[in-house]
Amino acid sequence: MKCFSRYLPYIFRPANTILSSSCHTEANVLPSGLLPSGQNKLGPWCSPTGSPAPLSCETGCGEGSWILVCRLLVPTQVSLLSMEEDIDTRKINNSFLRDHSYATEADIISTVEFNHTGELLATGDKGGRVVIFQREQESKNQIHRRGEYNVYSTFQSHEPEFDYLKSLEIEEKINKIRWLPQQNAAYFLLSTNDKTVKLWKVSERDKRPEGYNLKDEEGRLRDPATITTLRVPVLRPMDLMVEATPRRVFANAHTYHINSISVNSDYETYMSADDLRINLWNFEITNQSFNIVDIKPANMEELTEVITAAEFHPHHCNTFVYSSSKGTIRLCDMRASALCDRHTKFFEEPEDPSNRSFFSEIISSISDVKFSHSGRYIMTRDYLTVKVWDLNMENRPIETYQVHDYLRSKLCSLYENDCIFDKFECVWNGSDSVIMTGSYNNFFRMFDRNTKRDVTLEASRENSKPRAILKPRKVCVGGKRRKDEISVDSLDFSKKILHTAWHPSENIIAVAATNNLYIFQDKVN
Amino acid sequence: MEFKLEAHRIVSISLGKIYNSRVQRGGIKLHKNLLVSLVLRSARQVYLSDPCPGLYLAGPAGIPAPPPQQLGEPAAGPPAGWGEPPPPAAGASWADTEPQPEGSAVSEAPRVGDAVPEATVTGVGVVPQGGAADAAKAAWSRVEGPRQAAAGEAEGPAGGWGVFPLGSRASRRPCGCPLGGEDSSGTPAATPRAACCCAPRPAEDEPPAPPAVCPRKRGAAGVGGGPTSFPAPGSTPLKKPRRNLEQPPSGGEDDDTEEMDTGNVANLISIFGSSFSGLLRKSPGGGREEEEGEKSGPEAAEPGQICCDKPVLRDMNPWSTAIVAF
Repeated sequence: MKCFSRYLPYIFRPANTILSSSCHTEANVLPSGLLPSGQNKLGPWCSPTGSPAPLSCETGCGEGSWILVCRLLVPTQVSLLSMEEDIDTRKINNSFLRDHSYATEADIISTVEFNHTGELLATGDKGGRVVIFQREQESKNQIHRRGEYNVYSTFQSHEPEFDYLKSLEIEEKINKIRWLPQQNAAYFLLSTNDKTVKLWKVSERDKRPEGYNLKDEEGRLRDPATITTLRVPVLRPMDLMVEATPRRVFANAHTYHINSISVNSDYETYMSADDLRINLWNFEITNQSFNIVDIKPANMEELTEVITAAEFHPHHCNTFVYSSSKGTIRLCDMRASALCDRHTKFFEEPEDPSNRSFFSEIISSISDVKFSHSGRYIMTRDYLTVKVWDLNMENRPIETYQVHDYLRSKLCSLYENDCIFDKFECVWNGSDSVIMTGSYNNFFRMFDRNTKRDVTLEASRENSKPRAILKPRKVCVGGKRRKDEISVDSLDFSKKILHTAWHPSENIIAVAATNNLYIFQDKVN
Repeated sequence: MEFKLEAHRIVSISLGKIYNSRVQRGGIKLHKNLLVSLVLRSARQVYLSDPCPGLYLAGPAGIPAPPPQQLGEPAAGPPAGWGEPPPPAAGASWADTEPQPEGSAVSEAPRVGDAVPEATVTGVGVVPQGGAADAAKAAWSRVEGPRQAAAGEAEGPAGGWGVFPLGSRASRRPCGCPLGGEDSSGTPAATPRAACCCAPRPAEDEPPAPPAVCPRKRGAAGVGGGPTSFPAPGSTPLKKPRRNLEQPPSGGEDDDTEEMDTGNVANLISIFGSSFSGLLRKSPGGGREEEEGEKSGPEAAEPGQICCDKPVLRDMNPWSTAIVAF
């Protein structure tokens, strides 16, 4: 009975959550109208002071406020089924899901990714499903509705598997989704769980052939003897249907858990990285891959670090980087040798001895690495900071941003409740001027690299009035707590924003909070 | 002193995490276990390096022992293990999940053990770190033995062991079982053992039970009750050569219990010490030597580890109280 609900979305659906190309938002977050023009907007950007938490913002900055476009619930019938689920399934619904919607663990979003044009937004969840949202087309009549994303397609990408040889269950959780650039009318994306990468083709069908000679309208074969005339089948329009088909399955190449996939700029190859190895695949060949990085020691007892993330350079198809659990980044050039165990560049910042603690190694482990769109910089996220590195300088990052330094004194508690192992992701905006990453209590942070200003915003249902402007939040680190501040001890560590995505060219962001997907847009005056 | 407490607590939590990682969906996560083992190493270093006399406490606090009978029911393990969600917090859930994962862990152990070396090695690799710490605790617990005896609890080390709260005695039992049952797949053996050694020793007023019997019983039951793929009880002797390499314990009142316990420790060392020695080697104190020193316990020549000191013993009470409070 466990995980029952994840198999029912397609069968048992309440009337108001029909999967279709129509908007899937809950009623209360449908946009209700334009903002009153005279509204006093709180500027979201705060002046830099070097303190870890942003200051309370001054009014009237108006330099671009973020508004909620829509909040999307990954479709599943939660309330009905979870009531009936037996106690086993209840156990699966971990305590942090007690909040609001009885959402099952299978609905937790585990990856978010815009495609190259920003028209499509894909999410993967722990239940192995991929949900693709499409941006609503701009129309003269409903200009304010532009920017909304509606469900475009849903499909089950991965199923739970069991490795009989190792007696291990393979989770169906989607670890990463990466889009391929669009080359024809269909969309292609890669999705991966712990062991298997799949290439999916998402295509639309809006015409249907009619008038077959050998088949009647229901598809039954006709007796050839009854055919007296021939006709040419014609294509007739039909309701738009979006279908997803698995085109390639790249399996059995990873012994350890896949943590990253990255499409090469040649659009012919991609790499998949697990804890100890990185493999290079060709999209057309599924039964073999090249191993390009292997850091597995001959004696596993000597293991000291693992690969945590990897990415190809956006323009140079021979270059990629991978990060390690020791806080180092290695840049490799595939032209140098077939096996890129020897790095071309090695990025590491010397550890600050004054900050040494039991957990220094854990918090220095890099959870995400991203090239800038320009290809000149890489951004890394470790537990407490985001760092921007210049590819030409290996000995230290050029910028370091404290995401939630107030947690430094709470590392022991975070270790106990496993939060210290959370893998936050980080993203660049389209122009590489702003970086964003998530935090706890459904907070997410943006750092403007040029103005050095930062802001903390919250993705929450309480604040999710449609088109509402997000109010900057502040965490109070000690002493007196001001009115709108939240103290560190009242942060909800079960609400964490691990996955965010930024539209490639516009200021639209997608923020995944447990099983909710928030889409915010920059409302320029 | 605070560092010791902190380190102690961290060690116990870490061991709990490693233990629980075995029953989590998706298999053992190499990255997380590696990080946990690094924390364990740091905590252990702090623990060992600080010459604070109050250091030699019984065992990590806050880890109640699982009911031993679970080990005898490994059959229930696999479904339970699979269906069991990862406990939210190792410390908090330790008590709750111990019984169940204990059984499932045992049954899972052979599966993991049978696994392709890579996966197994992973588990083995990460767990030993915890085991080393456990060995240390076990050694120190033997130190406490005589003291407890002196306190009138029971005679000799047997009594000393018996001083453990019932919980810890119970935890002792799993110690014996997987010990005998595992060699190649150190992980499954290790973690239950780790769990056991982590048993708290709060109340000295616990009635001494026959710990000698329990571990033995446990060993037989656990091993015998394990899935067919479990190594035969006869594999216990496999540990012996390893044990002999180390300094033989010279505990005077070497009775059955102590031998068993020493055997546990020795086995722990052999399992844990041989694996993941890379991390240990990288520890500045020289992990290997530390391990052997811990194992030898009272007679250890390990620097800074003077056992059976009166001041040490005197300090045990407040320390144990602290543990209870924790």
